[in-house]
Amino acid sequence: MTDTAAPADTVHLTIDGRELDVPKGLLVIRAAEQLGITIPRFCDHPLLDPVAACRQCLVEVEGQRKPFTACSTTCTDGMVVKTHLTSDVAREGQEGQLEFLLLNHPLDCPQCDKGGECPLQDQTLAHGPGDSRMIDRKRRFTKPVPISAQVALDRERCVLCARCTRFSAEISGDKFIELFERGALEQVAIYEDEPYESYFSGNVVQICPVGALTSTSYRFSARPFDLRSLPGVCNQCSAGCNLRVDVRRGEVQRLLARDNMAVNEMWNCDKGRFGFEYVASAERLRQPVVRDELGSMRPATWLTALRAAAGRIQAAVDAGGPAAVGVLTGGRLTDEDAYAVGRFARDVVGTDNVDFRLRPRTDEERDVLAAVAGTLGPTYDEVEHAPVVVVAGLETEEEVPILHLRLRKAWRKHRQRIVVVGPVIGSLEEIAWRWIQTPAGEESSRLTALASGGDADLSEVTDALDEAGDRGVVLAGERLAHSPGALPAAAELARARGLGFAWVPRRNGARGAVDAGLLPGLLPGGRIAAEPGPVADAWGRLPEQPGLDTRGMLEAAAAGEVRALYLIGIDPVRDFEDPALAQAALERVDTVIVQDLLQNETTRFADVILPATAAQERVGSFTTWEGRRQPFPQAVAPQGLAQQDWDIVRQLARALGSDLGWETANDVRREAAPLMEVAGSALSRLPGAQGGGVVPASPERSGDDAPVSSERPSAGHDAPASSEPSPDSLSHQEAGGAEFPFGVVVVDYLVGDSTMLVGAKALKETARRPAVWVHPADAGRLGLADGAEVAVVGSAGRLVWPVRATSGVLQGCVVLPGNSSGQAPGLLGGSRVRLEPVAGTGGDE
Amino acid sequence: MFNALRKGFGLTFKTMFRPTVTIRYPERKREPAPRFHGRHLLNRHPDGLEKCVGCELCAWACPADAIYVQGADNTPEARYSPGERYGIDYQINYLRCILCGLCIEACPTRALTMTQEYELSSDSREDLIYTKERLLAPLPAGATPLPHTDAAVAARGLEYYENNFAGQTTLAHLQDTYAGRAGRVEESGDPVAVAVDGGGTEPPVAGVDPVIGNAPERRPEGE
Amino acid sequence: MGLETHLPEGILLTTVERAVGWSRAGSLWPATFGLACCAIEMMATGGAHYDLSRFGMEVFRASPRQADLMIVAGRLSQKMAPVLRNIYDQMADPKWVISMGVCASSGGMFNNYALVQGVDHIVPVDMYVPGCPPRPEMLLDGIIKLHEKIRREQFVERPRKGESMADFRRRTGWADDDTISIETPALTQLQTKEQVVGS
Repeated sequence: MTDTAAPADTVHLTIDGRELDVPKGLLVIRAAEQLGITIPRFCDHPLLDPVAACRQCLVEVEGQRKPFTACSTTCTDGMVVKTHLTSDVAREGQEGQLEFLLLNHPLDCPQCDKGGECPLQDQTLAHGPGDSRMIDRKRRFTKPVPISAQVALDRERCVLCARCTRFSAEISGDKFIELFERGALEQVAIYEDEPYESYFSGNVVQICPVGALTSTSYRFSARPFDLRSLPGVCNQCSAGCNLRVDVRRGEVQRLLARDNMAVNEMWNCDKGRFGFEYVASAERLRQPVVRDELGSMRPATWLTALRAAAGRIQAAVDAGGPAAVGVLTGGRLTDEDAYAVGRFARDVVGTDNVDFRLRPRTDEERDVLAAVAGTLGPTYDEVEHAPVVVVAGLETEEEVPILHLRLRKAWRKHRQRIVVVGPVIGSLEEIAWRWIQTPAGEESSRLTALASGGDADLSEVTDALDEAGDRGVVLAGERLAHSPGALPAAAELARARGLGFAWVPRRNGARGAVDAGLLPGLLPGGRIAAEPGPVADAWGRLPEQPGLDTRGMLEAAAAGEVRALYLIGIDPVRDFEDPALAQAALERVDTVIVQDLLQNETTRFADVILPATAAQERVGSFTTWEGRRQPFPQAVAPQGLAQQDWDIVRQLARALGSDLGWETANDVRREAAPLMEVAGSALSRLPGAQGGGVVPASPERSGDDAPVSSERPSAGHDAPASSEPSPDSLSHQEAGGAEFPFGVVVVDYLVGDSTMLVGAKALKETARRPAVWVHPADAGRLGLADGAEVAVVGSAGRLVWPVRATSGVLQGCVVLPGNSSGQAPGLLGGSRVRLEPVAGTGGDE
Repeated sequence: MFNALRKGFGLTFKTMFRPTVTIRYPERKREPAPRFHGRHLLNRHPDGLEKCVGCELCAWACPADAIYVQGADNTPEARYSPGERYGIDYQINYLRCILCGLCIEACPTRALTMTQEYELSSDSREDLIYTKERLLAPLPAGATPLPHTDAAVAARGLEYYENNFAGQTTLAHLQDTYAGRAGRVEESGDPVAVAVDGGGTEPPVAGVDPVIGNAPERRPEGE
Repeated sequence: MGLETHLPEGILLTTVERAVGWSRAGSLWPATFGLACCAIEMMATGGAHYDLSRFGMEVFRASPRQADLMIVAGRLSQKMAPVLRNIYDQMADPKWVISMGVCASSGGMFNNYALVQGVDHIVPVDMYVPGCPPRPEMLLDGIIKLHEKIRREQFVERPRKGESMADFRRRTGWADDDTISIETPALTQLQTKEQVVGS
């Protein structure tokens, strides 16, 4: 580092008699780390701004009267630093400070969850005094105090390092906790009526250098020295946080964020941290189950179950050809599983009826996804250092929280310009530079306007994009599928301007499924069925006729054309946009094979249930939204007789007479890697503006009805132009008019009603309450108080939630909770609705 | 030759009049040494509360991995030990335990001690895994069975650990000034608001401080 | 009443089972099988202070063919394991095994690749004696308990006096030969297809 840097940018200093050159502005504590000298510290954290609150890192600087705190002193040229290793002044200062910190710190280490992994404990042992001169009674507080359902605060133990308050102020940006009072009574506290319900509250538990903040779910369940720690990768969203899985006696006790500066840095979200209780929950499927001739479900051996499943699939193929089999997968599959399922469907069964999208989907998505499949980047680092980021169809905090933290960091450290395109700005409101307010369904026109640059209203943004050159990034959320032409338009924006392009799905398995080609007409590595390339050589055969997507399969099943459905990790009865159709399909279809972790609403329709293993019980790899493949080892033994998904698929293939030749997940990996991974970036493979499947945005809409907001996103936008309401929920272009004045956006909350959160009680208690987000002006016009119940009425149905008035929503738009309610609002997504106040409710609650 | 015979039988004959050294074990038992390491005992406080706080330090210290402890939360309605934490499960596997006593040294509350009992043989592996019920000392006379409520414990007013300095109120003036200023939070009923003890907001278990103390605890005599 | 009222003085009645048990318990011949430190305590048990001959067991036989009790005294290494089994096989029936000390019982503190983690992986153990090493009294305690066990040994397994059928099954392992069933709580809540369609 020092060799390559220009001399002007480096300073020369001496630490403990050893000389080194470091970049200008580096802190002494970091410079010492480069030499392998660890200066004791509590408040210092590499990702937080220095405060020098704990005073533990005292060092002696030659020529200065008093010792300096190394964590807040920058290196200067010719500086001579002596640490506790060589300087009595520094050592005595540190010992004195440690004794001072321990004055009021209770010595209840045997009871403290931090005991055994506590920096204060370790440093007292290493550098501290053997005895205390404190003979008086220590400061006493009531303990522990829950500051949220999942974080407990013990103020006696706090050393006032301000790590937690700085984290919430600087990193997560939700200032729920703060330091109050002064002197000996200074303490961390929350505001009176606001519990610490941040999505990132678990991080403060992890960075607390003492046991002041502890996790209620992990409380007293194990000691650090009793845990076996394994590396893991989070399975809750596509962010791909690296985790430390702590296991005791074959049970996952807690998950911690594992440092990976390229991905999650040192953080993760509460869903990833606390949402693991499902692994050992009573709802888990632990044994294969087969429906017998009389229609009752009986536990079976794997052999029986696999034979039954294979026999039923074979019967469906015999009766209706390979196209009579449909395969639907969910978001929890690893890359290996996705590849195995793809090959099973195409090669073994011979059907192209494969789809991983239970969420709303469009055909035009395929070309973009095909371009994205198998590529890597833009990465987190590239997003962080991009001068301009265009975010469309993505609610980062709710969908990919760690990406949100990265954007926040970029905004804070690099003054990144974040441009939001769409009807909702949500959590990006604080950090967004411009919000291009776009009515729901009209994203494509604005994105096209950004690409062409002709629009005067957008000149500020287009200038910024011009300036950014190829370092700008477009982040397209999977919700763009609600809006016709939006995803191709976002891709076209990236292609036309040479920006980085990332498709950011919500679920962790989505990107792996795209890479493995789990869409009709798509093969691994983004190859389309017409040009299979090496896939044709690797696989025995390819399906002859084009397949159906999720909706097509369910419709065909309801019509009796699809005779067997193989459902892997999904619950269409609850999560499909049209639950009635899903239920009708499952009732009508001859065979339902369910391969899943947990009992859900779909399992009761099953003819064969094949229990699968949870992410912590298996090996595999997950792909982040960037395309980064992250393998992880097995942490605990599977529950019951559960097996890994790829293995079940392999055995099922064997029962159908095909040997796929895999013995381990590595074999799948080895076969899949050359097919799934593609060199180059998504940009070079994007279809041209007029290319296949890209729906041209409606040109008449690129006019003046969506102005760029001023410095602060404001709501100066009228309701969209009126036309006849459409009964078709997906025809967004026809604006609603008087009957259905509101365009609908469905946002999936991070902590929702997901089956993967079974048992995570504390986490669910901190979940955001499902609400209809409405612009205050709209709410005022309709006479809706914040918190009052409102009925959302669309052509397809009526659902009731409380109202939340927020300026982060465009006028004329409502945001509905996606998965938080047990209801399935998917049918309303992208459609138009009207709001009706529900009588008898008002105000809070 | 005769001399040799005489010597040999003489010794035999003489021995008949020497005291026997054989200990007639099952009937007569030799008292083990005072610090003999026998079966473990989980002690109680005089009022019946368990001394064990479930800290698992014994399990950590154990070189044979013979101890299993699971900690849990005391609640105001069900209190098993002073302080926040107690051992909900405690097992010692005597098929692994080498009776070395490192667990005794590790125990921060003197909850775990060793008795002089050594007749532990059994033909069942299961029987040799001693659970908490078998290890726990009997209830002291007059004590009620656990769990106790916080109210009952506070009413007894026992000092569970030395170094509580219950009589001293060094921070009293600070607390008084604080209590005045903290009124707004206290009245709100916010859990955070229950501030420093004293000033009318005494924590529910007054004097039940789990703090082990920063001076070494005086070990009880004997035991 | 019974037969005993018609018998002359000096004659005791018993069952063959009890008589055999009594005589077997009274003449156990241990094989020398000292493996480690526990063997020192085992020798001490045979010495004057504890005097194993009080139980008719003073002669430790060097040949397994003349022994019917094996005291595995000490940790059993993987290399020694086949030898132990060989010696056990050479002993004449009926034969018993005492696992002396925690190393023999479970590997004790030596939880590593070199040692058998409990000799009951190799031979059936009738009595476990904890301790490291067990003091002679502890071994004697184990031997006395084994005597008692031998005395009560039955030719055909049947419930003992006052033993419930359930306890008997547990003791003898009768209940365990059913297929291993894994609880599937989810299963009980599954409805049949007909019920779903009907509802």
